[in-house]
Amino acid sequence: MTEGVAVGFALSVLRAATPLVFCALGVLLAERAGVLNIGVEGMMLAAALTAVLTAVLTGNAWLGVAAACVVGASCGLALGGLTVLLPADQVVSGVAFNIAAQGLTSFIYKVTVVRGVQLIAPATLISLAGPDSHPGFWGSLSPLAYGAFVLAIAVQVFLFRTGPGLLWRSLGESARASHASGVNVRRARMVALVVSGLLCGLGGASLTLAWVRSFTDSITMGRGFIALAAVYFGRWHPLLAVLSCLLFGAGEALAFRAQALGTGLNPFYYLMLPYVLTIVAVTLMGRAVGPKEAGRPYLGR
Amino acid sequence: METRRRALLTAGLTVLASVIALWACAAFAGASFSTVVSTMIHEALGRRTALLATCGEFAAIAFCGLAVLIPYRAGFFNIGAQGQLEVGGLAAVAVALRLGNNPWLAVPAALLASCLAGMAAAVPPLLLKLKRGANEVTTSIMMNFTCVMLVYAIITGPLKDPAAFYGATRAIPQASRLPTLPPGGPHLGFWLALVLIAVLWVILGRTVFGTRLRAVGSNRRAAVLAGINVSAVTVTAVLMGAAMAGLTGGVQLLGLTFRVAENWTKGWGFTGIPVALLGGGPIGVLIVSAIFAVLETGSRGMQALTGVPAAVVYLLQGIPVLVYLALRSAGLRTKKPGPGESSAASGLGEAG
Repeated sequence: MTEGVAVGFALSVLRAATPLVFCALGVLLAERAGVLNIGVEGMMLAAALTAVLTAVLTGNAWLGVAAACVVGASCGLALGGLTVLLPADQVVSGVAFNIAAQGLTSFIYKVTVVRGVQLIAPATLISLAGPDSHPGFWGSLSPLAYGAFVLAIAVQVFLFRTGPGLLWRSLGESARASHASGVNVRRARMVALVVSGLLCGLGGASLTLAWVRSFTDSITMGRGFIALAAVYFGRWHPLLAVLSCLLFGAGEALAFRAQALGTGLNPFYYLMLPYVLTIVAVTLMGRAVGPKEAGRPYLGR
Repeated sequence: METRRRALLTAGLTVLASVIALWACAAFAGASFSTVVSTMIHEALGRRTALLATCGEFAAIAFCGLAVLIPYRAGFFNIGAQGQLEVGGLAAVAVALRLGNNPWLAVPAALLASCLAGMAAAVPPLLLKLKRGANEVTTSIMMNFTCVMLVYAIITGPLKDPAAFYGATRAIPQASRLPTLPPGGPHLGFWLALVLIAVLWVILGRTVFGTRLRAVGSNRRAAVLAGINVSAVTVTAVLMGAAMAGLTGGVQLLGLTFRVAENWTKGWGFTGIPVALLGGGPIGVLIVSAIFAVLETGSRGMQALTGVPAAVVYLLQGIPVLVYLALRSAGLRTKKPGPGESSAASGLGEAG
């Protein structure tokens, strides 16, 4: 590989990994607090559409990001209302939420296209240095990519080096113990889901504003679930989850280049890799490492 | 009596929510509600071709509903039906292409192959759940993608039709296509779906196995204490469900599509989830599948005639479940569940 090809490859890995990192951090924070966020795919989709629509209508990509955060957080609030407050089954709610989100985004997208709105977002967020100059490697990265990796470090520090982080993790290990130590379990889990939704919103925004610059039906293509896989593969540790996201991003980037590389292997095998790896990882580690009470509703006071 | 009234109330409110959602969508897209509904019903049932399409859709949705329902009874959430139907379909086509021209051999062999392939796709999540305690939801989602990618790799590789520009197999020979019954009517898969619903109504409601299944699903520990072989019951239920999912693929391909191509399926495997949840039993699956099938085929015509996007269908699949879940859990909460019931309410256990 020549240097130019290597740089191009590294850039496309990072570009593909950025939305995954945001969503993985969101899922991870929710699961560490004891709630499964299966709705990640739908949240990402809803935010992706919101980001593009807002950016196109206002002409400002950053406003798109902000709107995506608001929509993501509201999705978290809605899903939390179902799974934390009622509490309904977390997996089933997430799945139903995804179906509804797919329907709603597709519906709104088609209606806007019919009304003649050109869904091409401004290029502000594609690279740090701006679209017209010839930036180096670091200048070609999106500001959102930087944000994602800084955030990952912040989450790692928060969860494992601070007091509130300890409380956060204890919610996922034993809600009853958290309750005994004076934490309002339901409220704390609601906060966790809103934060999780907000991060998924950033994931959706970085998919459409920092990469594709447009929206099509089901544009996320299961990326929310890949983020879910990255969390499991990274054993619920933020930095390991980021590494998994990079690995999965590399799989995607390789698949795009499979023919150019001339390995003769069908590109779909590269795309299959993340999922197979996750199954292998689950086989190797079993249930031991996950937050103990993730997925169980808290039925106490 | 109280529970029956509550169930009726839940069903009524769920339907009401769907109607409101449809009305809002119609209004947003600038069409009148009554036109949308009447167009939808006319486009699904009004013409002969439309009626046939609805029957085919019904078969696929009903099979997938059963594919989720049976394992769910045993406390296993089969979110992997989509992957199972993809590999099931490919297996059926592969067999039909090979055995080709003998209908008495090719059709049963292909349908059997689709069942077996579907079951094979359910084995990893099942084994990991039983042996390693891994949550089946994670592993099944991963299996879905693995199966889709595998199918794509095969239809762009070994089984690719040399004449096709994109990933697709050759079309299966005429003799291995499902017969229509009566001639020119719905294909065999439609009748098979009805028969299987009836059979499962008996199995789940009127046999020892059905009772055991319910016991395992509602309280695993009590089932163990009652001397039920919990693993065996779970394995049977999951494999039965996966066979149904595989069959969806087989029936659709032998009856309607005749070749595997990129994006040949719709998300029937995912549609099966609301069907099973809202249906709650084989007869419920029959009813909900029929409604969903009408929505599905009706919405295509509706999009062309009224300009309301067909994506409304997904909303009408997702929203009722969310409403239903909310109402049911609100009901559970007023009932004040004990510690035993709480795990049954979650039903699905712990994180991977």
